[in-house]
Amino acid sequence: MRSYAFAAVFTVFASLLPLVVPEAYLYVIGLAYIFAVIVISWDLMVGYTGQVNLGHTTFVGLGAYVAAILQVPPRIGMHFDVSPFVAILVAGIAAATVGFAIGIITLRLRGYYFALVTAILPLVFMQTVYIWRDVFGGEEGFSIGLENAIATTVVGRYYVALFLLVASLLAILAIVNSRVGLRFKAVRDSEELAESLGIDTTKYKVLAFVISSFFAGISGATIVHYRVTVSPELYDVPLMLLVILSAVIGGIGTVFGPLFGGIVVYLAKNWWLRDLIAALGLPVNDEIVLYTILIAAGILMPRGAYAAFSERLKLYKLRR
Amino acid sequence: MMELALRILIFGAVVGGIWGLVASGFSLIFGVSRVLNFAHGAAFVCSAYFAILLVQLGNHVAVAITAGLLVSCLLGVAVYALTRPIRHNEVMVVIVTLALALLIQQVLLLSFGDRGLSLTPLIGGLQRIGGVKVTNIRLASLAFAALTMVALEHFINKTRFGKTILATSQDSEAAMLIGVDVEMVYLVTIVLSSLLAGMAGILYAQIFAVTPETSLKALIYAFAIVILGGLGSVRGSMISAFIVGYILVATITFLGARWSEFVMLLAIIAILVVRPTGLFGVEE
Repeated sequence: MRSYAFAAVFTVFASLLPLVVPEAYLYVIGLAYIFAVIVISWDLMVGYTGQVNLGHTTFVGLGAYVAAILQVPPRIGMHFDVSPFVAILVAGIAAATVGFAIGIITLRLRGYYFALVTAILPLVFMQTVYIWRDVFGGEEGFSIGLENAIATTVVGRYYVALFLLVASLLAILAIVNSRVGLRFKAVRDSEELAESLGIDTTKYKVLAFVISSFFAGISGATIVHYRVTVSPELYDVPLMLLVILSAVIGGIGTVFGPLFGGIVVYLAKNWWLRDLIAALGLPVNDEIVLYTILIAAGILMPRGAYAAFSERLKLYKLRR
Repeated sequence: MMELALRILIFGAVVGGIWGLVASGFSLIFGVSRVLNFAHGAAFVCSAYFAILLVQLGNHVAVAITAGLLVSCLLGVAVYALTRPIRHNEVMVVIVTLALALLIQQVLLLSFGDRGLSLTPLIGGLQRIGGVKVTNIRLASLAFAALTMVALEHFINKTRFGKTILATSQDSEAAMLIGVDVEMVYLVTIVLSSLLAGMAGILYAQIFAVTPETSLKALIYAFAIVILGGLGSVRGSMISAFIVGYILVATITFLGARWSEFVMLLAIIAILVVRPTGLFGVEE
């Protein structure tokens, strides 16, 4: 129950934000909300079933390109008109379908195959953008046209992004707190034990992967309708690492940790990190800084910043 | 037609030898310490780039190559040190080594740019085999890769330390009970496998050109090879490396280089559907 109260406080706070924050910032914060959906959906797979998904951006990119093609059907030689919301839903279903196919093949095997195969996926899907350049637009991507934007004003887009985040958050909270969520955790903690209790581990791993891919797909599609362009960086490995960094700092398997981790990391990367590096005169780029933080966080606080901090605090109190 | 077939036969073997070195190292670490080392491709490019840098600074190629190999060993030590505290946490091992690989890729990108660089070949000249021109360095690298893999096989199965490694890979707790310094074994295997990747990087840079992106490419090919050969089976990796080498060269000849990752993924999925344990894998 506490988590729903938390979600309510967050929603109220976030919906009041446009009253005080200027539009230029709201635009970035809205994108941070969509990014947070990608992070919490990654966490559903990795934090709750313990399967390392290194190809989550495959589904973000796939959703993005499916939605973009639906808005500009002449690129595949067809003519029809769909509303943004239908396009986003179809994109989510497409991502979930691909997730199902890959999950069926890799998740019935125990161990490391899933991590290895998902690590390759974004690189393969990246190449499709270059191989079918006329359709997908190569490295520059293409615009879907302002008339297909999800809302005409920045404030409107901000609220759509917030709605996506809150709806996804409530759905994922409902899943992890249900009996299905318990089974996910049983699979994570011990596959043998889960199996001996009669849990079909493959079924639940695939289910988690399909749900997680669905949310990644609709996030990718929403980004396209938010920014009005699609480009291959939505598939790419740096975005994947940003997702992982957010979840690791927030604390894997906690829903709210990855949520706030996602918002903070996204804003940091797109707001002040580059300026900070330039101001300090460091001879590195922002990605080097982020990867270094990820290595340090993974080793020093594998359960997230909040858990690490509260443990230290407890130790300190005990010593006194 | 005959010439094309011969070309694929020879070049596929050369490429297979190089990726075989990478994959057998990857498989060795995994088999012994259950660490999926995503930074394995980084050892491959680091040794090549360091050697290229030293040659640019005016050193002899042989000196540069030795130093490059040393760098790959040091990277192995770094991976050992970074993964040691989190080895029981599989998720974090994958995340930390992947972050290390991308960190190194970015550092190389900032220092050397993204255009391809090559290393001066240690030996020049070329041979004609049935009408196909093959440079001596390609033949030498195939011979070197094959000999190294035979030596590795001998080291693991016949020497005393190799048997210690085998024992640790089969049951690390039992090995510890009979007095094996398991941490030492882990350290040696990670350094050894990084050295194998480093050797492959040096060979690759003398034949093709390396870019910072090559690190990820090396990793993908290593994945395909170890999945085909069976995770953890070093001998399986060596044999399947040549199969993958032929698939790669045939793909690049007939479809173009852009398709190579695509075909690798299809190959992996086909193996996982038909025979998930790989050609030589053992049931866990």
